[in-house]
Amino acid sequence: MPTNPSMSAAIVGAAESNKIGYIEEGTTNNILFIEAIKNVCDQVGIRPSDIEGIAAPNAANFLAEYLGIHPKWIDTTSVGGCSFQMQVHHAMAAINAGIIDIAVVAHGESGYSARKNSGKGRGGRGPGDPWAPASMFEAPYGTSGAPSNYAHALTRHMHRWGSTKEDFAQIAVTTRDWATLNPRAVMHSKETHPAGGPITIDDVLNSRMIAWPLNLLDCCLVTDHGGAVIVASAERARSFRTPPVWIAGAGENQSHTSMLEMGDFTATSAYASGHAAYTMAGMGPSEMELAMIYDSFTITAGITAEMLGLTPRGEGTSLWADGKAGPGGSGIPVNTNGGGLSFSHSGMYGMMLLIEAYRQLSGTAEDGIHGIEGKQTSAKTAIVNGTGGSLSVTGTLVLVADD
Amino acid sequence: MADYKKPIPDPDPYTTGPFWDGAKQGKLFLPRCTDCNRAHFYPRIICPFCHSTAIEWFEASGEGWIHTFAVQHRAFGGWADEVPFVTAYIDLKEGDRMFTVLRGVDGNKPEEIKVGAPVKVEFEAATEDVHIPFWRVVG
Repeated sequence: MPTNPSMSAAIVGAAESNKIGYIEEGTTNNILFIEAIKNVCDQVGIRPSDIEGIAAPNAANFLAEYLGIHPKWIDTTSVGGCSFQMQVHHAMAAINAGIIDIAVVAHGESGYSARKNSGKGRGGRGPGDPWAPASMFEAPYGTSGAPSNYAHALTRHMHRWGSTKEDFAQIAVTTRDWATLNPRAVMHSKETHPAGGPITIDDVLNSRMIAWPLNLLDCCLVTDHGGAVIVASAERARSFRTPPVWIAGAGENQSHTSMLEMGDFTATSAYASGHAAYTMAGMGPSEMELAMIYDSFTITAGITAEMLGLTPRGEGTSLWADGKAGPGGSGIPVNTNGGGLSFSHSGMYGMMLLIEAYRQLSGTAEDGIHGIEGKQTSAKTAIVNGTGGSLSVTGTLVLVADD
Repeated sequence: MADYKKPIPDPDPYTTGPFWDGAKQGKLFLPRCTDCNRAHFYPRIICPFCHSTAIEWFEASGEGWIHTFAVQHRAFGGWADEVPFVTAYIDLKEGDRMFTVLRGVDGNKPEEIKVGAPVKVEFEAATEDVHIPFWRVVG
C-alpha cells in the first residue's frame, strides 16, 4: 500500500573530497567523486560495498563500476544544480518503498581543473570523455558500437557452454515469424524489407559478417521509434477507459558499465534484477506465460533467458529451439512484436518491450493496427526484461493481467 | 610514429601516470592494493575489491591468456584498413583483465584462435609519449 514517505528516510552523513577549491595540481571528476564517497562512508562507518543505491548526475553507473559495486537502485538524473535535491527525494521514495535501505548521493565536478586542462577531458563519466577509463583502455583498439563488443560474449558462451551459432540463429528466425503477424514490423515480409520474414537458420548464418561470431541477422535493427506508457496508482488504475496491467514485481541491477569489467561474459545482472522482480511478485519463472526479452543481439536474448530462470544455465537458446517460442509454438511465447531483431529497435529498445507487454496482457495485441490474427496470446503473466550498455545494466518487471 | 592513424589515448596524468611511464619503457605496470594484495585494471584510486585506498604500482609479467575474442569486420578511421582484425579480452597472470587487438592471429580463420591461448604484451609507439599495449599469441 502506498504510504506518505514523510520521515521515512534521513541523511546520516555528509563529507567532501580530500581537496576542494582551486586544486592547482589538477584533478578529475572521478577523483573528486570517489574521494567524497570514500570519506562519507568512513564518516558513517560503512564500506562502499554496503551502498545499495547510487545517485550522481550522469555518473552513477560509472561510479558504481569504479567502486566495483553492483547497486540495485541507480539514478543518473542530470538536470542541473538541483539534481542532488531531487536525487535525495528519489532515494527517499525508494527507501519508503522498501527497495533499498542505504543510498549515496554524490557530486564530483572538476570545474577549475577542467578549465585549466582546456582541450582535455574532465576525467570522469564514460566513453567520449578522453580521461574516462574506457577512452584510454578500450577506444584505442578499434571497436565500434555494440556488435563489436557483444560478439565477445557469444564467443565465450560457445566456448564455455558448447552452444553453436545455429542455436542462436533460431532466435532470429523466431522473431521473423512473429513479425509476419505484425504489420508495423520493419521485417514483416519481403514487401516491407528484402530481408523480411520468414527467414531460415541458413539465412542468418550466410548473412554478412559484422563481428565474428555475430552475422548481420544476429543484430538488431536501427530504426526510429517513439513510445510512452502511463503509470498510475492502484487507486486510480480502474478509473480509466483502458484496462490496467498490474506491476507485480520490479528489480534493477548493474554489474559493470564497460565489458572490461564484465566478470562472466556469459552472465548478466538480469539474474539479480529478475530475482528481485520475482521475489516482489511472489512468483517464479515457471509461472511466466509470456517473455519479452531484450534482443539487441541473439546472444543478449539467449543469455537473458538463462538469467531469468526460463532455461537451465548455458541452455538459453533452448527456449527458442524448434520454433517453440514462436507463433503457435509449444513453449512460452517470446517477443511477440517481432523483437528488436525484426520489429523495431531505435537504440534503446526497452519502451517497445513495455508497449507489447501491455498490449498482450490487456488483450489488445490485435487491435487491427498493431497485429493481425495470431499475435494475441492467452498470457496473463509476463516477464519483461531490458538490458542496457554493454550487457551492463538490467531492469526487470513482472506484469500481471487484470482479473 | 607520425603516421599512427588509429585512436591514440589521452593519458590521465592523475591516476594512470605509472602505466604510461612503464609503457614507454616497454613494461606493463599494474596497480595493486597493499591491503588485499589484488591487482586491478583499469587503474583506480580505490581498490574495487576491498575499497582500500592504499594502491601501489608494480611491474607485471606481461603474460596472460585469451579470455574471449571477436573478429571485427567493420571499423572506422585507421582501423578500417585492418579489417578483419581480432579484438580480445586478456586474463592477466596477476589477475583482472585488459582489452586489446591480438597479434599473431588471422582474422579470416577465427576457428583457429583458441580461448585460453597464452599471450604476451608488446608496445607500439603511437607518439613519443604514448605507447599502446598490444598482446601477441605465443602458443
